[in-house]
Amino acid sequence: MKRLLGVALGILTAIGGFVDIGDLVTNAVVGSRFGLSLIWVVGVGVVGICLFANMSGRVAAVSGRATFEVIRERLGPRAGLANLGASFFINLMTVTAEIGGIALALQLVTSIHHLLWIPVGAFAVWLVIWRVRFKIMENVAGLLGLCLVVFGVALFLLQPDWGQLAGQAMAPAVPQTESAAVYWFYAIALFGAAMTPYEVFFFSSGAVEEGWKVKDLVQSRINVLAGFPLGGLLSVAIAGCAAVVLLPAGIEVTSLSQIVLPVAEAGGKLALALALIGILAATFGAALETTLSSGYTLAQFFGWSWGKFRRPVRAARFHLSMIICLVVAIGVLATGADPILITEYSVVFSAVALPLTYLPILIVANDPQYMGKHVNSRAVNLAANVYLVIILVASLAAIPLLIITGAGA
Amino acid sequence: MILTDVLGSRVLNSEGDLLGRVADARFVLDQPPGQLLAGARLQGLIVSPHSAGSFMGYERNDVTRPWPIAQILKWWHRGSFLVLWEDIEIMGPETVRLREGFTAYHPGLQGAGPGQAPQR
Repeated sequence: MKRLLGVALGILTAIGGFVDIGDLVTNAVVGSRFGLSLIWVVGVGVVGICLFANMSGRVAAVSGRATFEVIRERLGPRAGLANLGASFFINLMTVTAEIGGIALALQLVTSIHHLLWIPVGAFAVWLVIWRVRFKIMENVAGLLGLCLVVFGVALFLLQPDWGQLAGQAMAPAVPQTESAAVYWFYAIALFGAAMTPYEVFFFSSGAVEEGWKVKDLVQSRINVLAGFPLGGLLSVAIAGCAAVVLLPAGIEVTSLSQIVLPVAEAGGKLALALALIGILAATFGAALETTLSSGYTLAQFFGWSWGKFRRPVRAARFHLSMIICLVVAIGVLATGADPILITEYSVVFSAVALPLTYLPILIVANDPQYMGKHVNSRAVNLAANVYLVIILVASLAAIPLLIITGAGA
Repeated sequence: MILTDVLGSRVLNSEGDLLGRVADARFVLDQPPGQLLAGARLQGLIVSPHSAGSFMGYERNDVTRPWPIAQILKWWHRGSFLVLWEDIEIMGPETVRLREGFTAYHPGLQGAGPGQAPQR
């Protein structure tokens, strides 16, 4: 019974924890401009993140060490640095975007300008990282994030023309109002949002924090394979709401209030309140995860002691580096840069960095010295190879498309 | 001199012909026990004619997965060899010069230990 509860809790937190500011913004923007004609990308991204998160969770459970530690040790400092450099930069950008997201959500609730909420949000993130136990932190943020289910409910309440939505989703085509370049630019952004690199680093370091062993592999696989796709459905619901309300009205998403507009229209104040709690929990949870990921990757590269299972005094550099990351994020946001815009750029750049993140994971998941008999199966390797090709194409196309389309304008 | 100074250095034979670049250094843990591990002794350098990049773990002969990444990395480092410390004449900051009549060993590792089958 206890085990069953553990599995259920794991799935629920995986669902609630899947969506972050990148998914929220990108899905709403895409829904408001392309309807559901890009929704297939969410599917491609979710399968990809399941594949690689599962791999990196397995590395952590079998070897007892975080994936990035193994990468640093096996692939050497130069390959490790390439991986760190790419993912850390994206990570820092994502931290900034998430903290901006927290501030925007609080602005919607209180009408106090988001610039004033930024230091408060960052401080709260730091406090939780410093004080709260890993498991509690994960579960509370994940469960509250489930409030985002209200987007799915809202989609039903809006009573859309399901045939038309299904038509857009099943037979994707570039809308007449948009160019092919813009379509593919947003395809890459959506892919980057679903496969953000921090998720795998956080997942494997979290496995070490929670002390996973080989016997926990089944549970971790269920969490990923059930939780992430259901979380992906939340993304689809967000895009669907935007497609039903914002697309016909010709509203382009440039702020958080537009993202929640369909929910308010469908379900009134109560639904709006739930959506705001969900967004706050999702961005706050993701801010915790990205901040921790920054600390994890830095500490694991340089060989510092790390982890929330140690008291801060025993992992001083780990905690200090996270504080510096938060201060940098505050500094960037204090310039008045639009958090929504930062988010849009962060998902595109994360697509650029993906090959450097995911190729090393594939290599170490195949290393018999660490993995014993738990190395990747042939089927997983085949799928991973297919994904590496997709990732490489997306990565190479991202910057040219960013320039050609003027960031999707 | 630290290892970073040596990695990537050009490797010349005694006549001054370029053989490749230093891709890796190989150590043997056979010294008296230290704090964490036994003391390490430099066995030799791995010279790769095409790239000074990392072997990514594929210097071990029994690691052949995942296809095609393992094969690509092995091909990348084709023709690489191990020269023992005794065969190194000068280990300078920019170039490494080998002694006349040095022996080029196969760079592959069998299991956890070093493989030393003569190659040429």
